[in-house]
Amino acid sequence: MSTRTADKGSEGAALAHGVRKHGMLALGWQRFRRNKTGLLGLTLVGVVVLVAVLCPVLAPYDPDDQSAMLKFESKAPPSWAHPLGTDRMGYDVLSRLVYGAPTALIVGLGSMLVASLIGIVLGGISGYIGGMADELLMRFTEFFLVIPIFVVILVMVRIFGILVVGTPLEKIPYLNLSTIILILGVFGWPPIARMARVEFLRLKEMEFVEAARCVGVEPRSIVFRHILPNALPSLVVLIALGIGGSILMESMISFLGFGDPKAVSWGQILYFNYEFLKISPWAAVAAGTAIFVTVLGFNLLADGLTDALNPRLKE
Amino acid sequence: MGILRFIIRRLIFMVALVVGISILIFFMINAIGNPIDVLLAERPGISPDVIENVKHYYHMDRGLTEQYLTWLGNVARLDFGTSIVYGQPVKDMLLTWGWETVKIQVSSILLSLALAVVIGVTAATRQYSKTDFGIMTTALLGRSIPGFFLGILLILCFSYWLQIFPSYGAYSTRNMLWNSPWLDSLWHMVLPVAMLTYFNTATLTLLVRSNMVDVLRQDFVMAAHASGLRPRDVVYRHALKNAFIPVLTYLAILFGLMLGTAPVTETVFTWPGLGYLYITAIAQLDYPVIMTENLIITLMLVMANLVTDIAYVVIDPRIRLE
Repeated sequence: MSTRTADKGSEGAALAHGVRKHGMLALGWQRFRRNKTGLLGLTLVGVVVLVAVLCPVLAPYDPDDQSAMLKFESKAPPSWAHPLGTDRMGYDVLSRLVYGAPTALIVGLGSMLVASLIGIVLGGISGYIGGMADELLMRFTEFFLVIPIFVVILVMVRIFGILVVGTPLEKIPYLNLSTIILILGVFGWPPIARMARVEFLRLKEMEFVEAARCVGVEPRSIVFRHILPNALPSLVVLIALGIGGSILMESMISFLGFGDPKAVSWGQILYFNYEFLKISPWAAVAAGTAIFVTVLGFNLLADGLTDALNPRLKE
Repeated sequence: MGILRFIIRRLIFMVALVVGISILIFFMINAIGNPIDVLLAERPGISPDVIENVKHYYHMDRGLTEQYLTWLGNVARLDFGTSIVYGQPVKDMLLTWGWETVKIQVSSILLSLALAVVIGVTAATRQYSKTDFGIMTTALLGRSIPGFFLGILLILCFSYWLQIFPSYGAYSTRNMLWNSPWLDSLWHMVLPVAMLTYFNTATLTLLVRSNMVDVLRQDFVMAAHASGLRPRDVVYRHALKNAFIPVLTYLAILFGLMLGTAPVTETVFTWPGLGYLYITAIAQLDYPVIMTENLIITLMLVMANLVTDIAYVVIDPRIRLE
């Protein structure tokens, strides 16, 4: 165990010196390549990212095009003109689906950016400084861990929606979606903070950090160049899981009718078409499949990353 | 640290958390102004006298702090106020709507426990076989599939295409199945319970399997086999008992989360339970209902955490407190 962790330490140091050939990433990729579930996850996530980037090219119609409604073609079954049919509002389902991909990714990445910023800062301070700060911050984290996030978020989203009416904030585009992203991030940090704390606690006692301290490296540099890069592998796994989790949360919030009516999101498609499930099932099923594939992709990716980056954890 | 001190510390933490969240929700709701004003803004023509009366009834003519303390005091006497939308005491509503939620959630948890033990043990005793691989794949898929999507697929298959099960509600208003309210309500429960059970079973099975795999490798299992006990007795009596602690604690979490997951389940199946009530209460700003349900959801979650912590210490003396 100790020799292995020491190995990891020297990997990190090698990375810092620019020796990339057998760096942490290269080794991790070598292990990742052998993991079938991880590769499947990467493929699924890759497809979603590709769709998100290429959405103007892939979508046959404008996402806000409701002209099918005027031609009495809403709720039309799949055809050559509308490969996935049209939905209750006259939108082309395929176009809405394609334009939902960037929304989903923005929700996942945005909320996890907020969450990891808070989590790494709090967890890092807690683990690196220790003592009273550690005690206080961990109580605070525990508090957040037990909150029934989903039900509290629902109230918050609804209240914010009313609060902004009539204020200058109202003019910000996608305000509701940004609120959801922010709230998901603000409630999503505790697992990251815990992991960051454990990693900082472990790494600050390692020989290579000691060595860096001995040769007079500044504390700031120790934290950012020596400890943080070595703590990242464990954190990346949590972040990948969190992205999937946030996308799922947003789709549930939207499905329950508290989402951003202006944003094109898969949960919104479900919300607007759920009552017409019997008449036009294609819209709800397509949106549900998209959510499923994306969440599954991130879960499998996280699984593969665990195997590749933290072989110690999986036995 | 003694166990008693540990429990007392957890209890204090619990109370702080529950009160903290209720304060958060209370002030958030009041941040939009008086809920009555917001609600009545869409219904002009109500005389000021009546509005004053309504506000007085809900104690809204007093300061915010006083309002909150009144609410807290009433809750301590199990008086949760009156729903603004339904005009019924929230306590009665909790019982009628809560029963519907408990009905599907508890039966699903019990069902998935039974299933998970059998499936998980089967997978663990045949580690790395095709059966194991199939079970693991199904379970992993079950953990990633969004609950509402599964529900939608179930409704499409069994309600619309095969037309076996009803797609919404807990009871039929007419044409009951075989004229028996009992059978009719069971019939309505099938799809929601199936959806919840798939999800719960998936997670529990993975837990049972991984713990059984660990336990089956231990020496005492080999000793039991060597002493000539029947293989089935070794697996189900000796090994399972030792693999069960994490499963039990996860069960506590499932019970605690019961109401937290209810909104989505009950919206999919238009089920008249607390989750559905919560969603409509938020949409219509029925704040006595929102406050009460939030309190109960938090309380259940915190209790589940407490039970888990204590169970670990009591069942397995190797685990230290903090």
